[in-house]
Amino acid sequence: MSVSIPEKSKISHFLVFFLISSMQIGIGVLGFQRIIAKTAGYDAWISVIIAGLFNHIIIWIMFKVLESTNGDLVSVHTFILGNKVGKIISSVFTIYFVLLATAVLRTYIEIIQVWMFPDLKTFWYAFAYLLATIYIIYGGFRTVTGIAFFCTVLPSYLILTFAYTVPFSNFESILPIFDHKLKDIFLATRDMSLTYLGFETLMMYYPYIKNPEKSKKWAHLAILSTTFLYTVLTIITFAYFSEGQLEKTVWATLSMWKIVQLPFVERFEYIGIANWNLIILPNICIAIWCSSRILKRTVNIKQKKGVILIALLCLVSLNFFETRDQINWLNDLTGKIGFYVNYFYIPFLLVTVLIVRKVKKK
Amino acid sequence: MKSWFFKSEVKNDMEKKEWEKFLVRSNDFKKIFYVNQKTKVRFCFSFMSTIIDENTLQTNILPYLLEKDFNELDDIKLIVPMSDVQISDDASQIEQKIFNGYILVTIETEKKRFAFIAAQKEIVRTVAPPEVEFSVIGPKESFVESIGQNLNLIRKRLPIKELIVEELTVGKLSKTRVGIMHVEGIADPENLNTIIQRIKDIEIDNIVDSSYIVQIISDNKHSPFPLLLDTERPDRVAAILAEGKIAIVVDGSPHILIAPTTLVEFFGSFEDYYLNYILSSFFRLIRLFAVAFSILITPIYVATLSYHYELIPKDLLSTLITSRREVPLPPILEALFLELTIELLREAGARLPTKVGQTIGIVGGIVIGTASVQAGLTSNVLLILVALSALASFTTPVYKMGNTIRVLRFPFLLFAELWGLLGVVFCFILLMTHLLRLTSLGRPFLEPLYPLRVHDFKDALIRLPFSKQNMRPQFLRTEQPVRFNKKKTKDKKQDIDE
Amino acid sequence: MTNRFGVGLLSLFFLTGCVQKEILDDIAIEIARGYDWKEEDKIEGTMLVYNFQPDKSIKNTTLTTTASTSRELVNYLQEQSPEPLSEGSLEVFLFGKKLANEGLIDYLDAPIRNASIGARLFLVVVDGNAKELLNGNYGNRGNAIFISNLLLHNIKYENLPKTNLQLFFRDYYEVGKTGFLPQIKKIDDNKLELNGISFFKTDKIRVIDTLETEKMFYFKLLVDKFSEGSHIVERDADKAVIRSISSRHKMKITKRDPYTVTVHIKIRGIIREYTGPGTLTKKVITKYEKALEEEVTKECEALIKRFQEQEIDPVGLGFFIQTRTRGLHLKKDWEESDMYKNLTVKVVTDVKVLESGVIE
Repeated sequence: MSVSIPEKSKISHFLVFFLISSMQIGIGVLGFQRIIAKTAGYDAWISVIIAGLFNHIIIWIMFKVLESTNGDLVSVHTFILGNKVGKIISSVFTIYFVLLATAVLRTYIEIIQVWMFPDLKTFWYAFAYLLATIYIIYGGFRTVTGIAFFCTVLPSYLILTFAYTVPFSNFESILPIFDHKLKDIFLATRDMSLTYLGFETLMMYYPYIKNPEKSKKWAHLAILSTTFLYTVLTIITFAYFSEGQLEKTVWATLSMWKIVQLPFVERFEYIGIANWNLIILPNICIAIWCSSRILKRTVNIKQKKGVILIALLCLVSLNFFETRDQINWLNDLTGKIGFYVNYFYIPFLLVTVLIVRKVKKK
Repeated sequence: MKSWFFKSEVKNDMEKKEWEKFLVRSNDFKKIFYVNQKTKVRFCFSFMSTIIDENTLQTNILPYLLEKDFNELDDIKLIVPMSDVQISDDASQIEQKIFNGYILVTIETEKKRFAFIAAQKEIVRTVAPPEVEFSVIGPKESFVESIGQNLNLIRKRLPIKELIVEELTVGKLSKTRVGIMHVEGIADPENLNTIIQRIKDIEIDNIVDSSYIVQIISDNKHSPFPLLLDTERPDRVAAILAEGKIAIVVDGSPHILIAPTTLVEFFGSFEDYYLNYILSSFFRLIRLFAVAFSILITPIYVATLSYHYELIPKDLLSTLITSRREVPLPPILEALFLELTIELLREAGARLPTKVGQTIGIVGGIVIGTASVQAGLTSNVLLILVALSALASFTTPVYKMGNTIRVLRFPFLLFAELWGLLGVVFCFILLMTHLLRLTSLGRPFLEPLYPLRVHDFKDALIRLPFSKQNMRPQFLRTEQPVRFNKKKTKDKKQDIDE
Repeated sequence: MTNRFGVGLLSLFFLTGCVQKEILDDIAIEIARGYDWKEEDKIEGTMLVYNFQPDKSIKNTTLTTTASTSRELVNYLQEQSPEPLSEGSLEVFLFGKKLANEGLIDYLDAPIRNASIGARLFLVVVDGNAKELLNGNYGNRGNAIFISNLLLHNIKYENLPKTNLQLFFRDYYEVGKTGFLPQIKKIDDNKLELNGISFFKTDKIRVIDTLETEKMFYFKLLVDKFSEGSHIVERDADKAVIRSISSRHKMKITKRDPYTVTVHIKIRGIIREYTGPGTLTKKVITKYEKALEEEVTKECEALIKRFQEQEIDPVGLGFFIQTRTRGLHLKKDWEESDMYKNLTVKVVTDVKVLESGVIE
């Protein structure tokens, strides 16, 4: 049942930290504040923390599920449903990961088109970007992890730039705390969880971790630090914008950069957007890697061919989304599927795995 | 004596020998016959007169063979005061030995056996101060073109029995001697085997210099990055051998190769170890900054001027606009024009004799620079940037890496023209991926950055004091990871005035 | 075969992948824009464009036209400009007083919708005509830089509260707060001055009241959490310039229903100049402290009264009450409610003079 991976392509346990956090921070960071503030107002930062706590539970469940078979999602499915049905169910996830990559890349290109180059051609940029992705994935999972590592470490300086908003902020905006109904706060929690998506990729690369037992700590640490980051960012945003203003701001994080002024850079948002290239890279790489890996495990297509196939699929499907409404629809769809996969399907898997194991023992 | 020479059977015997047929066609091949004065044994010397030391022959070999008791070949070992005397019956060796500077001795009585006496003439340049990796402080020796001399320089610094040299011959025509050095008990045997295997597998007719070997045995032959470190400093080689790496000495090359290596190593000058650690850490960081500056500054100029004028501070705007007012070229062509000019100057300077080269530098730098600004071909802001970035690229201590960095600028320029800052970051992604995928002897090239090894940071981007350097680099997987006992070097904790 | 295909694809990529360029010296960089009321439903727009002279000085070049909307205006002005006009470096937006009295709502959509305009842009009301002001010649670094530097230093060291595009819209969209903008006036062709602060009604963003320069010191104390400023205190025959080096205010709800808010203002200052018959003794300084305390309390309370009468809330009292009261969700137009009118505000001031210069 378990998958055997050559020792030299495995990764150290602490790198799980970067795999998870880089996957969680993607395109959502740029504009999640408006969505969560819609329902829970300026109490939404509580929802950010609650959603983070839920993620800890989900990660715990994921490790439980994975430990039971010591393999990946495909081996879990085959353990429960048998070889054939298991593989069919697994191959559905190929499409989910393609959707994830497509949504991220298309939204990023939209941001470039709105903020920098209105005439940037979606096809050519995606073409170049996916070519780079293929080049990365050809280097093996270690290279993918390396990208996750550098793309978390190098752009981390961007956090500091938000300090520039403080002189123009009023932190009293978030007062009074708990001024909204509990129901609204939980609704915002659901909206927030869409931004946190991406750590379900752990279900695919788990067999690549050298010491899975030790990696748990790092996985939780990753969730903790992204929760922290998102909370801080939410509070900074709420202090910077008034509630009515935030309602109208589509990309709050980007708009905040408009106030940043360095001695040698008058306007920071252009640098920020260009840097975001790095931040979405692991999102796309890991998603496409997972997708092609499922193909390899289920349909037995060589991963070298699978990657090209999936990149082509992404490239083609990207061009169907042109207007903001279409892109929003794509994001909503991905978010919804991701929400059900993470918060319902994975706990359901744990229950079934436990039942199946008991039945098999008898 | 003469009558023996003309005996027809001897003549026939000579023609029979296959190996001589070719050799006699060379004018410098000599075959001389002698008779021992005591025993009257007739013997014959065959050698290439141009590669043996005639002086050795006249003083250390010939007198003994003529005057001492010389009956059979085995006597040579006893009577000739030379260390390298070999006796063999393998005729296939003869050609090789003669061309390696041995004198072939045959005697009439033993037709099947031969003796070889080493009498190589070594024309060796004297050991000069290093030119490429010059340092103000520290030893002033550098390698020369002879493997023997080079091994001597290294052995002097590591006089231990564990320093082992294995020799291979590479190249069908050049028969180049390649020595592979490691310190037994420290270096990882796996690395050693990989190197030996790769060198054995080399299929090439002619190895002229160690750089041939770098290009042939690198993990990725298409990468612009050098994947083996080369150095001309014996002190560096000795230190690196002690660290657990492997050195490759190639005859005829003053550059010694070191493997495995990492990217950061290319930005550490060996002088860093001769300075206080605070200073050397500072210099290392400066060098890294210089590299980033050198690669990125012109692309950023092109990107901001072509696409992102909003980024430019108000105070700088007037300088930029007025300096570009007369320039007809778009920023990209302006930048390419200047970059290529600098490359031309560098190339011209490198090809010309030193004295003339300096003049070219002055002419190029001052005359062309000012003139092109006045003629309105370039803006003076860009001129400053390009000159600075050229300067920055020369701070890289390893020459080959400096070349790589200069070339890297051009793809960045291209992408900057295409997508502005977005393109610069995109090109950076390509570069980063390429570096991530590179390995040196199967070890990741970006170590200790990725895979992250905090322990190895002590001697990477910065250099910590020697008391902290008590462990060998982790990525080398040395057999003996501990360099020295740290406890003994620790400062005693004392109170004030005690 | 694959190679040839790859090369073809790559060259196609470089040929068609390009995006529209904005080369620095081939565009007209707009740095200031002024709007004036022309006639009913018609505005007059003026653009100030960078025009660098070879000696690096800046000549003020303006383009003017009349149109009915702000977007239309930009389109018409493009027809006047030899190079494409680019809005990315805009520093100042000026609005003529008459237009400001009518309402600015239609002209403020452009700067917040356009991604290339920065958040530090200054919005300024012109006492008079924006076109005339932009046609003057102030300083040697161009009019826009002159105006923005004038505002910047007054914000940093003098009596103008913090203001820019972001802060104005933050207040505009905030419940329980109304916006304000600085007002400048052209004196002659080479001079202009900051001459007050304009207060806006939220409905159409129209000016309803303008604060005089002398009162700006008190207003800044009420609005900015931490601020600097300077003020002249007069006492019978002598006067002193007191520079506040650090002042802060704290609000507290002391009574609910009807609400009473107490504002504690703390000023730490130094005496910069003193003219009078006596010497500046400890006793005199204490007297000055007392005088300033009384003055600030009186003036601040009067200011708030004035705001309550005008039905505006630039201090953000509504916002403050809302953040301290659970379950209170104010309406957007709370300034018009009885609650605001019935609000009592007390000001408590504490002044300390720390230094009085290098002479005794």
